[in-house]
Amino acid sequence: MNVLRAVLWKDLLSEWRSRDRLPAMLVFALLTVVVLRFSQPGASLAGNPPGAPGLLWVAYVFAAVLGMNRAFALELENEALAGLALVPVDRGWIFLGKAAANLLLLALAQVTTGLFFEILFDVDLLSVAAPFLGVALLGAVGLTAAGTLFAGISVRTRYREVMLPLLLFPLLVPLLVGAVQATAGLLGEGRAGPAALQLLAVYDGVFLIASFLLFEYVLDE
Amino acid sequence: MGFLLLALTALAGFVILRAPADVVQGVLYKILFVHAPAAFAAYLGFLLTALGGALYLWRNDEKWDRLDVASAEVGLVFCTLNIVTGPIWAKAAWGKPWVWDPRLVVTALLWVTYLAYGLLRSFSEPGARAARFAAVYGIAGVLLIPLNYFAIDLFGGRAQHPENLQRGSLGVGIAGPFLAGTLAMLVAFLYLLMLRLEIQGLRVRRDRVDHENAPEDPA
Amino acid sequence: MWHRPRGPDRVSAWAIEAEGLEKRFGPIAALQPLDLSVRAGTSLAVVGPNGAGKTTLLRLLAGLARPSAGRLQVGPADPDRRRRRAGVGYLGHATLLYPALSARENLVFTGRLHGVADPDARAAELLEAHGLTGFGDRRVSGFSRGMAQRVAIARALVHEPPLLLLDEPFTGLDPDAADALAARLAGLHAGGRTVVLVTHGLGRATAFAERVVVLRRGTLAVDMARGDAEPRAFEQTLRATLGPPS
Repeated sequence: MNVLRAVLWKDLLSEWRSRDRLPAMLVFALLTVVVLRFSQPGASLAGNPPGAPGLLWVAYVFAAVLGMNRAFALELENEALAGLALVPVDRGWIFLGKAAANLLLLALAQVTTGLFFEILFDVDLLSVAAPFLGVALLGAVGLTAAGTLFAGISVRTRYREVMLPLLLFPLLVPLLVGAVQATAGLLGEGRAGPAALQLLAVYDGVFLIASFLLFEYVLDE
Repeated sequence: MGFLLLALTALAGFVILRAPADVVQGVLYKILFVHAPAAFAAYLGFLLTALGGALYLWRNDEKWDRLDVASAEVGLVFCTLNIVTGPIWAKAAWGKPWVWDPRLVVTALLWVTYLAYGLLRSFSEPGARAARFAAVYGIAGVLLIPLNYFAIDLFGGRAQHPENLQRGSLGVGIAGPFLAGTLAMLVAFLYLLMLRLEIQGLRVRRDRVDHENAPEDPA
Repeated sequence: MWHRPRGPDRVSAWAIEAEGLEKRFGPIAALQPLDLSVRAGTSLAVVGPNGAGKTTLLRLLAGLARPSAGRLQVGPADPDRRRRRAGVGYLGHATLLYPALSARENLVFTGRLHGVADPDARAAELLEAHGLTGFGDRRVSGFSRGMAQRVAIARALVHEPPLLLLDEPFTGLDPDAADALAARLAGLHAGGRTVVLVTHGLGRATAFAERVVVLRRGTLAVDMARGDAEPRAFEQTLRATLGPPS
C-alpha cells in the first residue's frame, strides 16, 4: 500500500513540476470534441442527438491514451523503470499507483471535456451531473486499468506510443458499450441501465485484478 | 496424423455431400459445415494461446512460448476462415453480409485481437521480451471473450445463429455431417498446430546456429 | 498478497551461487552456461570487452531479468522474488533517478518503495554521508555527471542492502570523483557487504576487488583472487587475457 502511495505521489509530483500531461490531454480532448462536432451534418442538432454519448467517450478514450503513453515515457529516462522493478513487494502495487495517477488526471480531463461537450453538442449533462460523474469514473477506472497495463508493455516495443491504441482498442469494446449505454440512459431516461453498470463494474474488476497480477511480468527485463 | 486427416476429410466431404438440401437455402447452407467448425478451432486456438502464455510466465520454459506462437498463428487462420465464410453465407442467404449477431461479432473481435497479438510480437525485442509481452496480451485477450459476449448482448445484437446445437435446432439429418465436419476441422487444427510447433522449434535452433557461426566481433 | 518488505539482516552479507546460468535474447546467447560462486562479503570485479555479457549478468543477479536456463541463488535460498529484491542495491548504466525531482525526493521515494522506516531521516543521512547536503533540494536534472552518480549510489543504498551491484560506476567521472567513489566503495565493502562491480578500468578493478573475473562472449575466461599472485602479475595476467584495450 505504501508503494502505491509512493508511486502515486511521485507521478503527481512529476506532473505538477513539468505540467505536460494534463494540458496535453485537455487540449487534445477538446480538439477532438470540436472535430467531432463538425463531423455532424449541421449547425442545429435535435436536442440530445442519439450519437452524442458515443462521441463523448471517443474523446475520453483518446485523452486517456495520450495521458497513459506519457506516464511511462518518464520512467524510461535514466532507466528509472529498473528502480521500480526492484521493489521488494508485488509489482502490481506499482501498477496500481500509476493507474491511480492516470485515473486522477483522466477524471480531471473528463470533467472539463464534459462541460465543453455539453455546450457544443447541446446535451444536458449538468442535470444528471452526479450520476454521470459516477459513470465517467467507472469507465475511467476500466480505461486506466487496461491502459496502464498495456502502456507498460507498449513503451518498450519498437513503435512505443503507437502500440498502445493498437493493443488497447480491440479489448475496449465491453467498456465502450457499457459506458456509452449508461451515459445514453442517463441523458435519455435519467437513469443508467443496471446491465450497463454491471458490465462496467465487471470489466473494471477483471482488469484491475488481471493487471495487478500480470504487471510482475511486464516489468521484467 | 496426416493420413488420418486425409481420411477424415474424405469422410466428412462424403457425408456432407450426401446431407439433404435445406428447404429454403438449398445447397448453400452447407457452408455451415466449414463455418462453425472453423469457429471452434479458432476459439480453441486462442484458449491454447492464453494457456501457453500463462504457463510460460509461470514456468519460464521456452516450450510454452512455442505453443503460444503456434496456436496463435493457426488459430488466426481458422478465425479468418470463419470470418470470411460468415459474410459469404449471410449475403447469399439473407442479402446482407454483416449482421450484429453476437457470435459473429465476438469472433470478429477475436480476429482483431489475434492481429494485435501478432503485431505485438513483431514489434517487441525478439526472445524473452516478446514472449512475455505476448503471453500477457494473450491472457488479457482470452478474458475479454466472455466480456464481449455480454457487451454485444447489451449492444443489441440479434441472434441469427441457432441458440444451441441440440439435435432439434439444426434440422433433421444435419447432425451427422456436422459432427464429421467438426471432427475433421479439429484434426486439421491439431495437425497444423503440430507442424507449426515443429517449424518454430527448427527456427529457434536455426537462429541460434546462425548466430553462433557469425564472424566474431572484433573485441 | 502484500506483506511488509522485511529489511535484510544488516549483519550478514549475501553470497551468490550460479550454476549453468544462461541468458538468451532470441537467437543471441548473452551468457553461455556459466558457473559462479561468490562468498558473502567478497568484493568482486567483473571485467571484459563490450558485449561480453557483464551487464546481463548483473541484471540477472539483481533480479531484473530471469535466466533462460540454469540455477541462480542470490542471498538466502528463497523462492520469493520479492524478498530477493529486498537485499539488492543496484546501480545501472543510467542513474535510475527522476530528473524532475530533487535529490532528496528521489531518495525519499526509493525509501518508501523499499519500506524504509523513516525515509526522510534516511534521505538526510545519505545526503550528508555523500557530501550532498547543500544540494539536496535541487532538481537532479541540473546535476553534473559526478554529482548525479553520487546521488545514484546513495539511492542504491537507501535500504541498506547486503548485496551491492554496480554497473560501470566510474564512467564519465573525473579522476577526483572517481577516487572518492573508489574510497566509498572500499568503505562499503569493509562495512560487511558483498560488492559486485562491473568495470572497464582494470586498474580500478584490481585496486578494489579481492577477486576478479573476466567475461568474454558470455563465458568466464579468467577467475583470479588477490592472493593467487602478486599484484603486478595479477594485473598483467588480466591484461593479457583481455587483449588490446577495446
